[in-house]
Amino acid sequence: MVRRLGAAYNWFDERTAIRSLLRKGLYEAVPVRGAWFYTLGSATLVLILLQLITGIFLTLLYVPSVTEAWASLNYLKAHDAFGSIVRGIHLWSAYILLFVIGLHMVRTFFSGSYKRPRELNWVTGVGLFLLVLVMAITGAFLPWDQAAYWTAVVVTNVPSYTPVIGPFLRALWRGGDFVGPITLSRSFGIHVWLIPAILFPLIGAHLALLRKHGEFGSYINYRGAYRSREGVDVPPAPVQRPIEPPYPAVPTDELWAAPLETEDFYPHQTFKDGVISAALVVLVFILAVAIGAPLEAIADPSTTSYTPVPEWFFLPLDELLVLVPQQLIPLVLVLPAGGVLLLLALPFIDRGPERNPFERPAVMVPGAFAVLFVVILTLLGSGRLFNL
Amino acid sequence: MSALLAIIGPALHVLATQLPPQAPQGRNIVGAQVAIGSLFSLHILIAGLVSGAGELGPAIEFLGYMRQRRTYDRLAHGLGRFITLYFSVSSTIAILLITVLLVGFWGHFWTTIVTIGFWPLLIEAWTFVLQVSLAYLWYYTWEPLRSFKGVHMAIGGLLAIASFLQVYMIDVIASYMLTPTNPQNPIRLALNPTSYPLTVHRTIGNLAYIGFAFGGFCAIRYLRAKTAEDKRFYDWAGSFGLLWGVSMTLLQPVVGYSYAKEIQLHAYGSWYKMMFGTLSPVFLWQITLLGIMFLTATIYFARRLRTDGARGAGLLRAMSVGMVLTTLLAAQPYHLGLTYDAVAAAGLNRPFWEGGLINPLGSMIPWKVLALMFYTLIAIAAVVWYLRGLPGVVWGTARRGEQRILVLMAVLTMAMIVTMGFIRENGRGPFLISGEMTIQGQQNVQTAQPTPAPQSSP
Repeated sequence: MVRRLGAAYNWFDERTAIRSLLRKGLYEAVPVRGAWFYTLGSATLVLILLQLITGIFLTLLYVPSVTEAWASLNYLKAHDAFGSIVRGIHLWSAYILLFVIGLHMVRTFFSGSYKRPRELNWVTGVGLFLLVLVMAITGAFLPWDQAAYWTAVVVTNVPSYTPVIGPFLRALWRGGDFVGPITLSRSFGIHVWLIPAILFPLIGAHLALLRKHGEFGSYINYRGAYRSREGVDVPPAPVQRPIEPPYPAVPTDELWAAPLETEDFYPHQTFKDGVISAALVVLVFILAVAIGAPLEAIADPSTTSYTPVPEWFFLPLDELLVLVPQQLIPLVLVLPAGGVLLLLALPFIDRGPERNPFERPAVMVPGAFAVLFVVILTLLGSGRLFNL
Repeated sequence: MSALLAIIGPALHVLATQLPPQAPQGRNIVGAQVAIGSLFSLHILIAGLVSGAGELGPAIEFLGYMRQRRTYDRLAHGLGRFITLYFSVSSTIAILLITVLLVGFWGHFWTTIVTIGFWPLLIEAWTFVLQVSLAYLWYYTWEPLRSFKGVHMAIGGLLAIASFLQVYMIDVIASYMLTPTNPQNPIRLALNPTSYPLTVHRTIGNLAYIGFAFGGFCAIRYLRAKTAEDKRFYDWAGSFGLLWGVSMTLLQPVVGYSYAKEIQLHAYGSWYKMMFGTLSPVFLWQITLLGIMFLTATIYFARRLRTDGARGAGLLRAMSVGMVLTTLLAAQPYHLGLTYDAVAAAGLNRPFWEGGLINPLGSMIPWKVLALMFYTLIAIAAVVWYLRGLPGVVWGTARRGEQRILVLMAVLTMAMIVTMGFIRENGRGPFLISGEMTIQGQQNVQTAQPTPAPQSSP
């Protein structure tokens, strides 16, 4: 039996070169120290795949029309326990995905991993973050319950504050002046076709770039980190590992070119990746079963008593909109818009070789404040909503 | 011994005949308020430092470990010493306040608030035990655990958590007094409308305050330092304290504004009093003081870089001009009278160029909001520029002027803390618990005081 399996494997390998592909994939060198932080990327990928699988299941039942959308999900809730759990997994994995991808970005930012030669890793990563965000926003409209409808009303109004083309953007998204059937159809199309069509190729590009340049890890893995330490000499350059990826990928600053200590991706890093991803999947399952995905009453545009509550990832923006007076809202919306542009341009602005976060104040301080403001606004927003 | 008794005995006899048999009730409300207010201010000024040191000290130790810098370790150790020395001072004042003044003057209030806030106050009491135990452990194991830095930093982390919890629990009570909710529901009580904003505001405030305070302290030590090593250390530590203080304070406009918004939504009377009523001049002073603080810090940054010819001093001077203009905008009064109601009653609630007493440039929306945004943005830019210039600074070369600015910053921060405490506590007036229990009612022992009734949970 074993011999036959071995023969089958050899047959398959002759035709696909699977052995060398696996070797290339699994025995890559990764930095040793701080490796638990590098699990966030693979956890993000696992959660996106969970989204894909559960999303396919949901499209088998969901009807994207204002008359049927709510009813189809209500059917799940009332009559299909398994389907209801699948919807719960879809929702909770989306929530956790946003949190994990945010953490992954913060980790990459603070470690300076976006610097040469990894600029495009960062740009594709920012693109992925934005796509996941749009995915979450459009997904929130789809149940067409009260929460979905009023979220759509608030969110589709945000682009209208854009100078000159604002009203056009709002009308384009809504399919008219008001939120209605076309808004739902367009949001569904964006959610299941447009965004995935861009998202998955971009994930491929992100991973390919990661393999090309190798994991940067943290500044503490590099000789450059020792320069500013009192009474500690800069260690000698590391011996080049015989197996790939060869650090450095391209000529770069010698102190930050290759990590001092590396280990094989398999089994060391794959074990850590597996532990974190499995823990997150278990957490998603528990939340899906214990809490599930809520479904409020069917959307009623004529109601005057409903108080819309934003999704958690919208809390910072929501709190900002609550705090800022009406006439200053366009000015305030410049902040997130400008923030996105700055994120995309970051590797081309901060081009110095230094990776140590303590030696990069011009980037780290505004970045740290941006993160702090987001956290504080989220906290304040959640407190406000609790007391509505 | 007998001579001593001969003196003390008659003195005690005189005191016994002169003192009233019970706490002075029903006559001097203002006296009681002044006594409690003054002692509370003193308590907050010391307790804020102790809490801030309990949170910042471990963070600095961790930073020093990450950067492998001995100066950070020395600074964190100094903060540990401060906690061990001043924790008891702060506690003594708190005990005096509660057991003598609050129980004596406002006994009904105190028993009511303890009944309502039993769980937060119980946790508060235990976090005190935890905080002081961990503070002593953290400080006295510094050398013994030098080889086990991870363990020592873990103790520091627990101290920071205990310090935060201790502040949060008392904030639950303080915020409940302004925006009471259903007292029967401990979750509602803990998450009452202003508990989040107050906790965030105060935690950041305490962290900023300790930075400014040790900045001022280090400035004094710098001026008295005899050795070059001490000069280097105190110069660096003073700059670090100010930088830390400013970095925390520039979060406060957003947090403070959010806090004010919650007060507007849930305690409109108090909010109106702060914005348009008798407290509006004090509020104006507060927002002006914030500008003065940012301005003073920016001037320090510019001067400190200029002293060593480091790059960026010129731009920081330009930023200080921007800060002056922003402060002038923020300091504009809206109504040119004590209260808006007085102006309206006189029929003068129209712009001053139409003969009225209203200055539209002093309105909160949009002008003061804009000023707060500019404060934040300019302060962030100043911090970044100062940090960019720091590699050109040689520690130990600062001049007296810079050290005076550091001391001034510590004083301004204390003024800010007292001002904010004054506004919040008086914003509730005449109530001790908003809408439920008055100060005047406390003095009338003949009349039963209403106790907050349970409300239906939403």
